[in-house]
Amino acid sequence: MEFGNRTIAARNGTKTGRRRKRGGIGAKEQLQLMLIMLPPLILIFIFSYIPLYGVLIAFQDFVPGNPILSFDGSTQWVGLKHFTDFITSRTFTRLFRNTLVLSGLNLVFGFTAPIIFSLILNEVKISSYKKLVQTASYLPYFISTVIAAGMVLSFIDTNGLINRIREIFGLPSKAFSMDPNCFPAIYTITNVWKTFGWDSILYMSAMSSIDMNLYEAAKLDGANRVQQMWNITLPSIKPTIMLLLIFAIGSVLSTNTDLVLLLYNPAVYETADVMATYVYRDSLLGGRFSFGTAVGLFTSVLNFTLVFIANFISRKVADYSLW
Amino acid sequence: MAKTKSKIKDGSRIFDAFCIFFCALICLVTLYPMYYVLIMSLSEPAAVNSMSVFLYPKGFQLKSYTLLFKDSSMWRAYGNTIIYAASSTLLTLITSVLAAYPLTVHGLHARRFFVTYLLIPMYFSGGLIPSFLLINNLGLYGTRWAIILPASYSIWNIMLVRTFFSNLPEDLRESAKMDGAAHIRILFQIYLPLAKSILAVVAIYSIVGMWNSWFNAQVYLPTTELQPLQMYLKRVLVQMSVDLTKLNSTEIEDAMEQMFSATQLKYSMIIFTTLPIIFTYPFFQKYFIKGVMVGSLKG
Repeated sequence: MEFGNRTIAARNGTKTGRRRKRGGIGAKEQLQLMLIMLPPLILIFIFSYIPLYGVLIAFQDFVPGNPILSFDGSTQWVGLKHFTDFITSRTFTRLFRNTLVLSGLNLVFGFTAPIIFSLILNEVKISSYKKLVQTASYLPYFISTVIAAGMVLSFIDTNGLINRIREIFGLPSKAFSMDPNCFPAIYTITNVWKTFGWDSILYMSAMSSIDMNLYEAAKLDGANRVQQMWNITLPSIKPTIMLLLIFAIGSVLSTNTDLVLLLYNPAVYETADVMATYVYRDSLLGGRFSFGTAVGLFTSVLNFTLVFIANFISRKVADYSLW
Repeated sequence: MAKTKSKIKDGSRIFDAFCIFFCALICLVTLYPMYYVLIMSLSEPAAVNSMSVFLYPKGFQLKSYTLLFKDSSMWRAYGNTIIYAASSTLLTLITSVLAAYPLTVHGLHARRFFVTYLLIPMYFSGGLIPSFLLINNLGLYGTRWAIILPASYSIWNIMLVRTFFSNLPEDLRESAKMDGAAHIRILFQIYLPLAKSILAVVAIYSIVGMWNSWFNAQVYLPTTELQPLQMYLKRVLVQMSVDLTKLNSTEIEDAMEQMFSATQLKYSMIIFTTLPIIFTYPFFQKYFIKGVMVGSLKG
């Protein structure tokens, strides 16, 4: 083999290059490359892998200050105690329901809004207007969550914009931020407002690559604009829709914690408190580290299962999958 | 035949009108809240207090803004944000490039291992509490490093740069190697000058991400001296634990300054701290969109 390689190498310089590529590179080069990669790999190890290892405390009664793993018997393993404690606790139903409701609403509206918006925007034929609308649509994405939440809170204040408008229509003023029934709507509207324009970018680009001849052919067959939209545009962006749907389903249990933390207050915990905010409040601030880690792990395992199921269904139904 | 054709055209015109109207509505929904905050901040205090400003500013003043200039806590927070954004962006650029380049070299041993090593943290994370314990154990709690170091890399950005590098022609590297250049030199002298556009994408993602983030600061920085702008805004706008109307307590010379309501000052603060991003984003727009596109190709 060695000999064969060398003869080819002698005959043709470029071929050696290709041979080398396939067969690997020299030890010196390998060392160079490893050294180049080393700094980022170390950072990733410290800040991504050590926390992964830290998940072990979910199965212990961890005492802060002790090592996570020690073999002198001081580590108190408790198995799944924290998981069963959480699932049987009284807050569990509330947290699980809120998480599902808030993410479900977000999935229904947050996921469909960009599709509908881009379908309609795609039908606008005046290109300067189209550009303007698109630019305006993702302006909210650039407004920080804190400012967006601050604006919302001030608008729904008892003497804020919304109540002022209600007054004009003769409706009584209402303390929206104190009403648990209003929280899901406030959260969903804010979230959709912030993200729909940005999320439509991928759809718009998928639409721009549709073959115009398809539309011409449909026109000849007498299809009207709505039919064209339904039968050509929508099927053409199906792969993009499926891709984003799998991602959206995968994050069903991880609500936009930032936004919930900013918008909620103790008066609306009944409908606003989700698993991540509970971990923050109860476990981090309350010092119940093992329990909080267990809740976090529970959420991510469920999330991953959901992505897996969504991917499986998508592969069967839509012939599209992530892996 | 002619009749059906004109019917389709009529229908088409109505449809066009509907689309244009719908889009105008969308513009209204996205732009009005910001516009409302702007006109409220510019109006005379009396009009603001009576909540009679809807379509255009009533009266005009910039005093509310000059008042904010005296707010030293805001400036300190602004400075902190710049420190965090600049350092984490610089580090992210370096780590993205360093991690991405070797992965594009054909024949790298254990490449699959390195790629998996990068992908695992993309799907699994330890979560809040293990990260908190780590920061604590490293002695970073309450220091600037607690904000900068965890943001010093982004696996997503590494993948973006890797995709970009692997689309560059392999011959570039091969010919440099023939000339005896080491990989680190190839990376910095040949690859980097070609990668300006993707580096701009990474930098902008990282700047905007840091500009908007507050949660890590809330968890890791107990003292207000080190907290970034968003934490300050949170105290002003959400927790309402900072009262902007008390800013001018030392000098009561100007009667008008006394009249500003907390709402108007809050709105001025919103405009004042959002303008930098709003003004720059049309320029960065194309890089942002590029980032979304390159990222989606990876799947």
